[in-house]
Amino acid sequence: MNKKQIELAWIIAVLVILLSWGAINIVWIGDVHNSIATENNHVSANNSSNVQLIKVQGTQWSWTFTNSSGVSTTDAFNVTVNKTVELVVTSVPGEYIAVIHDLLIPQMGIQIYAVPGQNNTIEFTPTHTGVFFFECVEYCGELHYEMRGYMTVVK
Amino acid sequence: MNGGMITAQSSTSIGQTSFLFYITLIISISAIVLLIIFYYISTQKTILKEKAESMGYESPNEMVRDKLAGKPRLLSWNVFLYDDSKSIALRYLLASMVFFFIAGSFGLGMRLSLTNPNPHLLTPDEYNVLLSEHAILMIYMFALGAAFFLGYYLLPSHLKLKRDVMGGYASVAFWIWLFGGIFILVSRTATRWYYYPPLALELAEYGGGVFNWLAVIGLEMVFVGVVINCIIIIKLIASERSKDIKLSEMSLFTWAMLFTVVMTISSAPTLMVGLGMLFYDFFNPIFFTAASHQVLLFTIMFWFWGHPIVYIAIIPAFGLIYEIIPKFTGKPIYSYNSGIIGLGLLLILSELVWGHHLMNSGLGVAWDIFFGTTSFLVVIPSAITVFNWIASLWSADRIRLTTPMLFVINGIIDFIIGGTMGVILSAAPANDFLHGTYFVTGHFHFIFLGLTVGITFAGIYMLFPTLTGGRKYDVRLARWHFYLTALGSAVMAGAWGIGGFMGMPRATAGYFARFQPYQDVSIAGGIIIAIAQLIFLYNLAKSYTKQPSISMDNVLENNPTSPEIPVTTPAPTPPDINITGGAK
Repeated sequence: MNKKQIELAWIIAVLVILLSWGAINIVWIGDVHNSIATENNHVSANNSSNVQLIKVQGTQWSWTFTNSSGVSTTDAFNVTVNKTVELVVTSVPGEYIAVIHDLLIPQMGIQIYAVPGQNNTIEFTPTHTGVFFFECVEYCGELHYEMRGYMTVVK
Repeated sequence: MNGGMITAQSSTSIGQTSFLFYITLIISISAIVLLIIFYYISTQKTILKEKAESMGYESPNEMVRDKLAGKPRLLSWNVFLYDDSKSIALRYLLASMVFFFIAGSFGLGMRLSLTNPNPHLLTPDEYNVLLSEHAILMIYMFALGAAFFLGYYLLPSHLKLKRDVMGGYASVAFWIWLFGGIFILVSRTATRWYYYPPLALELAEYGGGVFNWLAVIGLEMVFVGVVINCIIIIKLIASERSKDIKLSEMSLFTWAMLFTVVMTISSAPTLMVGLGMLFYDFFNPIFFTAASHQVLLFTIMFWFWGHPIVYIAIIPAFGLIYEIIPKFTGKPIYSYNSGIIGLGLLLILSELVWGHHLMNSGLGVAWDIFFGTTSFLVVIPSAITVFNWIASLWSADRIRLTTPMLFVINGIIDFIIGGTMGVILSAAPANDFLHGTYFVTGHFHFIFLGLTVGITFAGIYMLFPTLTGGRKYDVRLARWHFYLTALGSAVMAGAWGIGGFMGMPRATAGYFARFQPYQDVSIAGGIIIAIAQLIFLYNLAKSYTKQPSISMDNVLENNPTSPEIPVTTPAPTPPDINITGGAK
């Protein structure tokens, strides 16, 4: 190969990588995110019985999880394996005012902002049982680092 | 705002007396210091005026302009009396270096506090203050200050300036900028450099900091100063450059500065308005509160500026790399035109990528696709620039590895690593678990430490004999400074990158014990960087005690890259070589 061919091959290879990454990106985004969040649009997209709906409320400085039967837990929650989990996340005033938080469950690959006056939804399906950590990754004041806990996936 | 007053009033009468006593003491001491400074400055100004009149000039500024125009300038306190471009530049150098060491020590303080999973050296409140101040001061005071230092110092020489008449405005802008930075420093803000509203409006220790309103005023002042400077620099380039220099023959550093200031002017106003609305919210919360359902509006206004600022901090460094490489390879830069195209495309595309900071905030699918795609596209100009540097190095017969050149090569490597991390972040699936983790911190510390900090030091080392009136720096100490900075930044940012990939959240005063190894490694890196900067200070002190022994002429100033001015081979003697040669 001469220099021109090497140059061309280089350009094509980089373009292929970037374009395929872009395509994966677009397909993946279409699966996960639904619409611009407002106060009310937290109705589950696939309203089947296989969905576990969990309301998540971030406050300064703890996470409250309320499942469909109305049981609330703080900084910990349980979900069932192989069943889609839908989180409806918002921020509410606790002891102080409502500020922006951000829930990250790294091992599930999901992250969603908790914004005052907004209901953000996100879905994921745990495929393994075990204990996974979650944390707040948007700086939210004094005890920001304590806004963390464990999610337990049970059979 | 109210917290401090309430504490003061509710304390006992003895407490009140001592409170008043300390306030009086502080005011008296600062008044005395200010009086001494005023006396010194007014005396010096009188002397200067008499000197100017004896030489037949109407004002000292005209004398300075005529006598010092286009000549190398050394660093002295007199720069606070002169109003020409090079003096303004040296003011920025002094101020930005002071803020670099202040903010750097804040960074070190945070590292040391994280030796334990639970905050043990600093309370979470103190940690959050250091976190916010480190970021704000490093970006607005160090990075922008260093950019203005390089711009004001090198542009008059590169453009063979025919008139230098904007000094009065530049001086005013400098003081506004400096006092803005001081206000931010004393406000002990704890909002992080984002100033995200519901938190920024919480004027308390546990929220945005009791005096956060002062930080908002301070940042607005910084912006006013910065925008005035940008307009002055545009005027320098557009209308005051010598007729001999056509637009197509300007040095690449000049192009870089031009793109930087255009980017600043076109993106800063959004946040200036946003800060004004935020300040209004302190009194009458209508814009960014939960009830308005527009909390994200401020974040959008912020990132419209917040992403261009990171390019504003590195593009002058890009320009300086283009200037430094030919000096040590002895050949012109590989492609002058693609250098301009790369920087220009970066200007356009970098203003379109800011939304990737808000990908998971519920702004919808279109948002993620658009900003994910533009973030991919911004790779193209960055790659053009990097390949241009690599081609310049590749085609050189011989590269002389002086200290500035080492900083440049390390900067290129760091930019490639940090840039690749940035591309990974721009993919929405990866962004979902990397956003808000130390991966992001690692990404931009690679780039900031390698380019903004490293290239500024490279520029300082290149200009060292000029700035110090012909003194030499100790090459061995300078090498240690380089090697430790490079090693420390790679260790620190690398550990952050890996830890972040495992889910280690950033901006936290404490962490899950499982992240201890990554934190410990990054603490070691941070300490290495701190030691390196102490070596730099020692080197400065050591050279200060020596006598000037070499010429003040400087290749960086007098030999800009442009197609019409080929660099002579063998390359002009750089300061580094002179120093080793004349050590006896």
